[in-house]
Amino acid sequence: MSIQLNEYSAEPLYHQIEVQLRALIVSGQLSEGTLLPSIREMAQHLKCSVITIRRVYQDLEAEGLLVTRQGTGTFVAKVNPEERRRHRLDAVTTAMREAVAAGLRVQCSDDELRELFETVLHEARANRSPPGEEGYGDSGKEDEG
Amino acid sequence: MNGQGGTAVRMTGVRLRQPHFQLGPIHLEVPAGFVTAIVGPNGSGKSTTFRLMLDLTKPDEGGIEVLGRTIGNGKSIELLNRVGYLPEEPYRHDNVIRGMDKAEFYKHWYSDWDVNHYRELLRLFEVDHSLRLGKMSKGMRRKFDLALTLSHHPDLLLLDEPSSGLDPLAWRTMIELLHRYMESGDRTILIASHVVEEVKRLADFIVFMVNGKVLGMYEKDELLTGWHQFYFPGGYEKWRAVLSEMPGLAGLEDAGGVVRVVTSSAREADAWIAARELVPAGRKSMELDDILAVLVEREKRQRQYGMKGVVQ
Repeated sequence: MSIQLNEYSAEPLYHQIEVQLRALIVSGQLSEGTLLPSIREMAQHLKCSVITIRRVYQDLEAEGLLVTRQGTGTFVAKVNPEERRRHRLDAVTTAMREAVAAGLRVQCSDDELRELFETVLHEARANRSPPGEEGYGDSGKEDEG
Repeated sequence: MNGQGGTAVRMTGVRLRQPHFQLGPIHLEVPAGFVTAIVGPNGSGKSTTFRLMLDLTKPDEGGIEVLGRTIGNGKSIELLNRVGYLPEEPYRHDNVIRGMDKAEFYKHWYSDWDVNHYRELLRLFEVDHSLRLGKMSKGMRRKFDLALTLSHHPDLLLLDEPSSGLDPLAWRTMIELLHRYMESGDRTILIASHVVEEVKRLADFIVFMVNGKVLGMYEKDELLTGWHQFYFPGGYEKWRAVLSEMPGLAGLEDAGGVVRVVTSSAREADAWIAARELVPAGRKSMELDDILAVLVEREKRQRQYGMKGVVQ
């Protein structure tokens, strides 16, 4: 399972993990019934505290993406197609909002933002980089010349 | 995870006065089911705190509860059986006996002694227990003592600088073992450590201890993502008034041509900076030792001036 954390970001770790784990589930990369590592194992793997992981598991359980069976562990739940579509776009919408906010912070005009979007999209299509492999939260750090 | 939610160790208003050192008043609640790390400079009272929990030192005031039992009403064998304690320094007086003899002694002392687990730990750590303890290298002695501490499956581990003397490989084995120890979910570790990487890998909660006082207890991930430092170009006087309003302000100082400001609420500080259209020259997240340094400095100032001690 590839979850990458940016420990230099002010973004809380539980949020970083939640976003990525949700994407893995909603995109179907983690299929229904997959057993997740125990809270302690996951914490050890990601070098964060069990409190953070417990919060992630609880949040995703509340969203219906995970189920915990007493004594056996935490599993990926069945995501119905309708929900999958909504979740799928949810994640993208959130990421877009963040990108736009980053642009507005450095006073980008609407046209500049559109142009950036086109450029980045072209780049991505050209490189066909696998989804989810882009560095987390790098989008806002570029300075406008 | 039925162990979580309770308190493994509770200290209430504990004070100890010694000729050259004053501890307390200490209020501390170590949550059951988690790893809590005590971090602080030398001589801040970490080892004394462990000794108090084990009734090896008596407090002048205050109450201590370990695994639900009040400490100080005579020795409780039953309680000691549930605790594993690794002191900072190995006991010198048993230097002449062999490792296996000491293990034999432990076997009689601890009712839950598990000889198979003990053997497995020796194998993992590559310890030869036929050596006399005084003849073991510092690292091997540490590994042997760690194995002894874990072999009766205690519910609570008190580890005082456990990795001192361990080589990097043995260190990794120890981290792995301690994670495995915690896997059942109902056990508790309280660890005192100077090693930043060790605390980062193991701890769920962090307690800062300076000068015999507990400066605060934090959830590790919140602490590390919350504390950031920003640098602003220009003189201290120029920035002082503006920056002292920053959310979560924990430190503000002249760093020679730039002003360094430390916040414990990085996200709020980000929004605050953006709203004022301020442009920092740089920013960094902070390591545990950076945070400790800021807290030590603040504590020093509070003692000197009795004020909030943030702004110079």
